[in-house]
Amino acid sequence: MSSLIGANYNLLPVINRFGIRLGFKEKSINEVCTENKIHTDFFLAIVNTYTDESYFPEAELLSFSPLLIIEYLKNTHRYYIEYVLPKIERLLNKVIESCTEDCSSLKMINSFYQKYKAELLIHLKLEDEKVFPYIINLYKEKTLNSDGSSIEVLENEHTNVEVKLSDLKNLIIRHLSPNYEDNTMNEFLTALFQFENDLNDHARIEDHILIVQVMEFEKELGK
Amino acid sequence: MKENVFIIHRSEIVRKGLSLILQDYFKMEITQLNSAKDLNSFTGITNSSIILILEAQTEVNSKAVDLLKKNNDVYLVGFYNDDQVLEQNDSVDYQLNQFSSSMQIQKLIQIIRQAGAKKKNGNSDNGELTVREKEVIKLIALGLANKEIAEKLFISIHTVISHRKNITEKLGIKSISGLTVYAIMNNLLDIQDINPEELI
Repeated sequence: MSSLIGANYNLLPVINRFGIRLGFKEKSINEVCTENKIHTDFFLAIVNTYTDESYFPEAELLSFSPLLIIEYLKNTHRYYIEYVLPKIERLLNKVIESCTEDCSSLKMINSFYQKYKAELLIHLKLEDEKVFPYIINLYKEKTLNSDGSSIEVLENEHTNVEVKLSDLKNLIIRHLSPNYEDNTMNEFLTALFQFENDLNDHARIEDHILIVQVMEFEKELGK
Repeated sequence: MKENVFIIHRSEIVRKGLSLILQDYFKMEITQLNSAKDLNSFTGITNSSIILILEAQTEVNSKAVDLLKKNNDVYLVGFYNDDQVLEQNDSVDYQLNQFSSSMQIQKLIQIIRQAGAKKKNGNSDNGELTVREKEVIKLIALGLANKEIAEKLFISIHTVISHRKNITEKLGIKSISGLTVYAIMNNLLDIQDINPEELI
């Protein structure tokens, strides 16, 4: 387990989402997972997704219960809302404070970020309050909703929020005049890049695994 | 820009060998075809840089190549069986033969890529927006729809869409609110009477 983290420190928040904390000693991944009552194969599939972009064992992952995936995704949402977004906002505020003259452009960037954040929060909320409960209920009751709602209708795409994040980065990197302290801005951008990577992996798990799995299940129930 | 490489040759040894050399050094998608006829199923590709490595002196399937050229940058590479010096051949842009070293093959791909990059820069005038594009982005920022912009500037909707595509390519910004921020930051809008924050 310790060599896994040594090889890719980006996994630190990922293992936290599983409830795993540091201090592994010489324990193997399997031992740590067993201790924390984690489905080892599921854990491996997730960390591999984060470590190697081209690794995507859809068939393997599809054999896990969607409820496991939902629990993991919910933890990820909480991590975004409670930790990442406040951190990014703090760094952005520091950038704005470091600006000495002609800061109107930075203020526009800030408004744009606020707009992005609001949209992202709505998206996360929709998943937490509508999409995930729908799936949980579907697997519990094993019947389709009588009002005809399905996962396809509930889960709109991620593209809109993804586009805004990419726009935010480009506005800063390509178009903003540098009236700010460099190190502060670098910290802010680094946080944005990290967040973008994390979101991409997160979206892949949702779109390619969870949604696919649920659509299959709906089809079976519809027969 | 996305890159697609096609190797079209009757010999499997040649196809696999070439694709191995290319894959070793470049991250690119390589499609191996036995005959140029099979190109027909790929004519739907758009916005890509397409490198076609074709067995020389066989039929080129110019119909499919012309279709591809409409929406892509296409580079034709003739693959010859011997290493005799060939006269300038108009039907292909570049030449390779079975005795080309892997170094020569890699170099050729680099030359093609540079040609592609140059062409792209030439088109976009170093990313500066044209006067017309500035007018369009201004109206986008004010919240007008494509149809309204077309009416206001006396151009077709099709032209508006193509301006928008070029703007997005030049600036790297896609969303309407992102474009609005750009317009305000660059003083393209007259914002005396409006609160810029409300536009985003």
